[in-house]
Amino acid sequence: MLLVPRQLRRVGMTGDVPYYGGRFTPAQAYAAAHPPAPPVGRPPTTRADQQLAALQHLLDTGVITSEEYRRLRARVAP
Amino acid sequence: MTGPVQVLVVGFGEPSLSGEILAELTRLGDAGVVRLLDVLLVSRTENGDLETLPAPPGADPDLGRLAAAFLTAAEDEEGQAGQGATDPTAWSLDGAVLPGGAAAVALIEHTWAQPLVLAIRSAGGRMVDETWLAPDDLELLDRLAGKAQ
Repeated sequence: MLLVPRQLRRVGMTGDVPYYGGRFTPAQAYAAAHPPAPPVGRPPTTRADQQLAALQHLLDTGVITSEEYRRLRARVAP
Repeated sequence: MTGPVQVLVVGFGEPSLSGEILAELTRLGDAGVVRLLDVLLVSRTENGDLETLPAPPGADPDLGRLAAAFLTAAEDEEGQAGQGATDPTAWSLDGAVLPGGAAAVALIEHTWAQPLVLAIRSAGGRMVDETWLAPDDLELLDRLAGKAQ
């Protein structure tokens, strides 16, 4: 029989939600659940541009800190 | 249900259900530790379709029926299947079984945990995280516990 799985909420033993399981902080979970509008203007064309845009997105959505952003950005565009 | 229910997905290289696993779960059920609600065998084709597999010979022919009904989207929900990718709290079998793989999906009620959960709630506690220890961390804990005794 073909299955079409449904979405279940991932919770802890006590039934509390949301459950981060050590993978997401509340800020990360919120950012992942509320993706920003797609960027306007000229899309990135090079690999470095794409990586920088991805880093900026992670910073804007609270997934990484400013310090992590600066450190990772230096790797992409030293 | 009185205790928390866990969905345990065990992957296999080929469709199979170990009699040893079922026997151990049955033993724990007899001891009042857990209750095996159901086990479903599934496989995923290379093109991504998820299919149920028949119960192994000798098993209850209804094995897997409850789990299949519970884990499957109703017809009016089918359009939403797979849309939880942006919700980190969402989970489905879709992301658990890789193409070409097979798995046993067990619904296990942890009857032992009911008093603990009630105690946590009545004390106003809230579970903020939980995990299982990796083997090397378990060895470290063993060593530390041995030293402490």
